[in-house]
Amino acid sequence: MATRRSLGARGIAPGAAVLLALPVLAPLLVVLTAPWHARAVEWPHVWRTIIPAHTSETLLLLGGTVFLATALGTGCAWLVAAFDFPGRRIFRWALVLPLTVPTYIGAITYAALLGPTGSISLQVHAATGWRPDIVDLPGLCVVLGLVLYPYVYLPARAVFSGGLRDALDAARLLGARGVRRFRAVALPLARPAIAGGALLVAMETLNDYGAVKFYGIRTLTTAIFQSWGGLYDLGSALRIGGLLLGLVALLLLLERRSRRHRRQATEDPALQRTPLRGARGSAAATACGLVLGLGFVLPAVKLLGDAWSVLPRWEAATDLLALGRTVGVAGAAAAATLLLALLLSFAWRHGRGPWVQALVQASGLGYAIPGAVIAVGVMTAAGGLDRALGLPFTLIGSIGVLVYAFAVRFLAVALHPVQGGLARQSIAQDEAARMLGASPVRTYLRINLPALRPVMLAALVLVAIDVIKELPLTLILRPFDFDTLSTRVFEQARIEAMEAAAPPALLIVLCGLVPVLVLDRLAERRAQA
Amino acid sequence: MPKHMSVLLNSWPILLLLLPLVRCSDGGSTGNEASRQVNVYSHRHYDTDKALFDAFTRATGIEVNLVLADDNEVLARLEREGERSPCDLLITSDAGRLGQARMRGLLRPVRSALLDSVVPAALRDPEGHWYGLTMRARVLAYNRNKVRAEELPTYQALTAPQWKGRLLARSSENLYNQSLMAAFVAHYGPDSAQAWARGVAANFARDPKGGDTDQLLALAEGIGDVALANSYYIGKLMSGDEPERARAREVIAVALPTMGGSGTHVNVSGAGVARHARHEAEAIALLEFLLGAEAQRAFAEGNKEYPVRRGVAVDPVLESFGTLTPDTLDLAQLGLNNATAVKLLQAAGWR
Repeated sequence: MATRRSLGARGIAPGAAVLLALPVLAPLLVVLTAPWHARAVEWPHVWRTIIPAHTSETLLLLGGTVFLATALGTGCAWLVAAFDFPGRRIFRWALVLPLTVPTYIGAITYAALLGPTGSISLQVHAATGWRPDIVDLPGLCVVLGLVLYPYVYLPARAVFSGGLRDALDAARLLGARGVRRFRAVALPLARPAIAGGALLVAMETLNDYGAVKFYGIRTLTTAIFQSWGGLYDLGSALRIGGLLLGLVALLLLLERRSRRHRRQATEDPALQRTPLRGARGSAAATACGLVLGLGFVLPAVKLLGDAWSVLPRWEAATDLLALGRTVGVAGAAAAATLLLALLLSFAWRHGRGPWVQALVQASGLGYAIPGAVIAVGVMTAAGGLDRALGLPFTLIGSIGVLVYAFAVRFLAVALHPVQGGLARQSIAQDEAARMLGASPVRTYLRINLPALRPVMLAALVLVAIDVIKELPLTLILRPFDFDTLSTRVFEQARIEAMEAAAPPALLIVLCGLVPVLVLDRLAERRAQA
Repeated sequence: MPKHMSVLLNSWPILLLLLPLVRCSDGGSTGNEASRQVNVYSHRHYDTDKALFDAFTRATGIEVNLVLADDNEVLARLEREGERSPCDLLITSDAGRLGQARMRGLLRPVRSALLDSVVPAALRDPEGHWYGLTMRARVLAYNRNKVRAEELPTYQALTAPQWKGRLLARSSENLYNQSLMAAFVAHYGPDSAQAWARGVAANFARDPKGGDTDQLLALAEGIGDVALANSYYIGKLMSGDEPERARAREVIAVALPTMGGSGTHVNVSGAGVARHARHEAEAIALLEFLLGAEAQRAFAEGNKEYPVRRGVAVDPVLESFGTLTPDTLDLAQLGLNNATAVKLLQAAGWR
């Protein structure tokens, strides 16, 4: 860090880069400054009655989900990275698939199977008299853990399968057996990567609205909507949004602490896998199979069945048009988000002063804010711009503002990998370029970025996946007659026509498959590089 | 790095700045187009509505451009767009929200002798800021093998000890529950309303979860014996043909409880012309079309809602629930009491 500061550019480029990126912060500022600009008449009630219950359930949900997702993600990553067992080659990539299932679709699909009147529950009840019911807080932790664990699995697998060989070989020579090698050597070394993944899981959990609402769980996100829709008090809703931001800032700090003793990535060759034979091999395969089956196969099969049953009534043309728009918007949003992330990373790498660092970190906070709240911030900013420019029409409801909103919301998703990639580049090469007279901009474009290409592609793909799954932002900010797949799902689910929602839901999953598999290849290549 | 790549990388900040100016060409712009159009923000996500908009376009040549989203968010968008808003007609599924929109100055009064004659006075704004399109009743579905309709004459009856562990309802976050509670507040004051909510919550068979249809399915499974639900969800379930819901259709019967002295709680979905509408004539034409006999029949048959237009028949499935006598409460009260209702529901322990 000290070396980077010494590299501070003298030109105006880094400052200008931050200025250009400031619009990202505008909607977040609307949320954070709500106590000063938005009346919140119901705040005393919200603070006394709503916040305590909703905070405690938020923390329980967060704890349960993050614990489960981390355990599943890390466990599966260790199995496929360190051992050979039947089916490993398939599990290695297939375990990423739940990433394509939006949390609200996963949760509602699970409720249709294992809720009080779900199809599996009914059969179990008929056979045994016991009625399974997954629609409660522990149940939701399980469901979210099952669809969100790939956020941990991917980075953990990357660390486990590359870069640990020397440490693990040393441990083996010292006589450490399997479990001990994992707990005493691999886990501590992979901790920063796992913490980064767990942070994404936490943010996804915090901003979920569809699933928690359906399961009747009281979270800070539902508190926002209760204040807004029930109490007609947007001011209080924005304040709760601010609280949520505070909680995320805390999580970010925790995650950064875990990076403090971060080991620099090494050039170690890939890990030598231990073959597991007989019962132990079957046990490993069963464990991975169970995680994959519950996290992806079961919900996907249920969606497939429902889609099949409504096939004669399927509005193919509408959904295919929505598919095209989803892909288009996801592509544009991913590109815009990556550009912003590169801009900010430039300031972060070549800029001077702690304020640059603070601004860059703060610009990623949008990821944890529910889309509807971001939308209010974006609309406030865009409405202000309309007036300032004296436009005859409003920018709200344009594709541009929709894309901008996605960039605000998902910046962290692109920023973190890009910063991570830059951090792995030696500062000496920058210094060499600068001593040869290259400007910071030129150094960034010619030296830093070319080496970042795989990371940039990974960032693009991650943002695209998130945009494909996103609902509330699209719903509020879309132009006239503009359906995406997620709004198609919503329109059917809103009127409780779950089967009719299956075809677009299935298309979302299919649409995510390609980017997810690309992501998987990238992670693997990075691990082996 | 190839030359074109670096040009691209160097010029992208400028492209980014231009991005917000990219607009969708699909309607919704300034309103000086030659073709006639009307821009609608709606919270009604029904296939019937889309079919009716198509029929309207065929009949009048006026294009309907649509944004569908939740009420609050639509109101927030209207507010922030201000005088530049392209919205001409706002459609929501709650009278309280329409009252809110009016209070926040988002609607304009409309004078139409036709509309005034078709919509009963109780189901529209006295100054024409909004008109009801359809009516939904919050009613009780019950297990016909375990409960008799006579046991459910009023909403108040639900607090009786005989219902302990037998009631099903969705969460108090749901607007329809809030509006029922708001009606209680208007009729009986906050204290009695809260006592009622507490009594109901004490009789729940389980913590509220899922939507209205989930309560009905739970009823069929014997998880509870009485479920609070909207008439049109029950109507859709009862007229459907999904084999897995056959049991629900066998078991469920419907009672229309009253508010004590005055009828069953109803809410309307309705529409109002936006304050800054640029296509007012087209918006009114669409309103009149949606309140025409043909459209009202479509709402009744296709979506199992009660038509607001006199002389249009109620769907046979709803008819079988009994004759609806709507509560005569001024619907503006629902909006005015909504916040109080929410606070009371939360304090009463109705999750």
